[in-house]
Amino acid sequence: MSLSLLAHIHLLLNHFPTVGFSVGLGLFLVALYAKSDPLTRVGLGIFLVIALISIPVFMTGKAAQRAIKDLPGVSGVLTETHEDAALLALAFMEVTGAMAWLGLWQFRRTSRATNGNLIAVLVLSLITFGLMARAANIGGEIRHPEIAVQGADPVDAEWIRVASIAGFINETNWAWPTLETLHFMGLSMILGVALIVNLRMLGVAKNISFAALHRLLPWGILGFGLNVFTGFLFFVTIPDQYTTNRALHIKIILMMIAGLNILYFTIFEEPWKLGAGDDAPMRAKVVTTVSVVLWIGVIYFGRMMPFIGNSF
Amino acid sequence: MMGFLAAIEQSGFSVWVRESNSLLAYPGVLFLHTLGMGVVAGISALISLRILGCAREVPLADLQKLYPYMWAGFYLNTVTGIMLFAIDATTKIIDPVFYVKLAFIAAALVLMYRINGQVFSDPLLEKRPVQMNGKILAFASIVCWMGAITAGRLLAYVGPGVISSSGN
Repeated sequence: MSLSLLAHIHLLLNHFPTVGFSVGLGLFLVALYAKSDPLTRVGLGIFLVIALISIPVFMTGKAAQRAIKDLPGVSGVLTETHEDAALLALAFMEVTGAMAWLGLWQFRRTSRATNGNLIAVLVLSLITFGLMARAANIGGEIRHPEIAVQGADPVDAEWIRVASIAGFINETNWAWPTLETLHFMGLSMILGVALIVNLRMLGVAKNISFAALHRLLPWGILGFGLNVFTGFLFFVTIPDQYTTNRALHIKIILMMIAGLNILYFTIFEEPWKLGAGDDAPMRAKVVTTVSVVLWIGVIYFGRMMPFIGNSF
Repeated sequence: MMGFLAAIEQSGFSVWVRESNSLLAYPGVLFLHTLGMGVVAGISALISLRILGCAREVPLADLQKLYPYMWAGFYLNTVTGIMLFAIDATTKIIDPVFYVKLAFIAAALVLMYRINGQVFSDPLLEKRPVQMNGKILAFASIVCWMGAITAGRLLAYVGPGVISSSGN
């Protein structure tokens, strides 16, 4: 995908963590006020899905920057400030998404999320909303000079600065290998959980109920979170190695689908009903197998990044 | 011995793996090695975590049925590992990081066997919490796989003769 196509995708997708997230937050607030469990679960689900979508939002944003940086009237400082604000907002968005997943997981197990979790999701989502609105506003000014406040320079006081992170990782020679090692450990956790669940659905270790295996899911999510974290550190450090890398594009797409697939294991009725000794229904077998194939695909395209595509 | 290793390194197969542009060559072998790592380390770590007391609803005895799949990952990595060694044999043989990695893997292997013998063969397995001995083995197993993964990754960065195309 070319830089300009990716820029278009950024302008499309960035509505999700902004407009979409506000809708989700509104719904979540109504749900808490009305003490409605089904509505709360929908709110948590929306937070989770938008947290997933926010991953390609940031990445296409980088591509968009590369696409327009030499155009007249584009402020480099403004785009950099937007990126810094966006990274901070993204960090909170991903933590919100992780907590939302945990809430959904709790709902499946005990028919309610703990109060602690709901409070955490509430606080985090409010902070995320604020940070996203701010990032979006700065972003809007990049190509909408009519809304920029005259004479005001972007405030050079961002809490996290992409340039500082990238600089540190580039200058510290143990940083990159450490991040890669953590990335491999994360992938082992994800693949391990996905495999064990899949094997059970296919009939191995039949004495284990799915409800028991459900307890292993957080370890998979931990691996996923670790890899999103380390992945973004790779991305911001050497973005040009990644923005036009075809293998990475495919990897992220597969990862998004696999991420959505996680919902099946976390909240659906069908796997949950699988008791000790039961045969899994065909759909469960198919979905879990597809999940493992997706993650193997993610590993494949991840490993192929230096070899497929032309950016290394 | 160096002559023997040099011969392996220059064999038709090694040359093909190392220098072919095919995705099935070096990239493919690396991919399969990564996959095997995910399988063996992932399943092993989850079994160890269960032994350490996480996810107690999972019946421990049945996890033993996962061993064949873990071994499958291990065999895949033995085969692909030998290929990766072969294409760079004369350098790897003098690379201390490589021996560190092999040591961690050997230790993890011994631990997997001992866990099989001590934890899964315990007749009182489901009737009482796992004995401390078993938990120590499980913890050590996690540490060893982490060590193997770290040493393996560092092979591309530290030590004599780093292959430049092994990723950034």
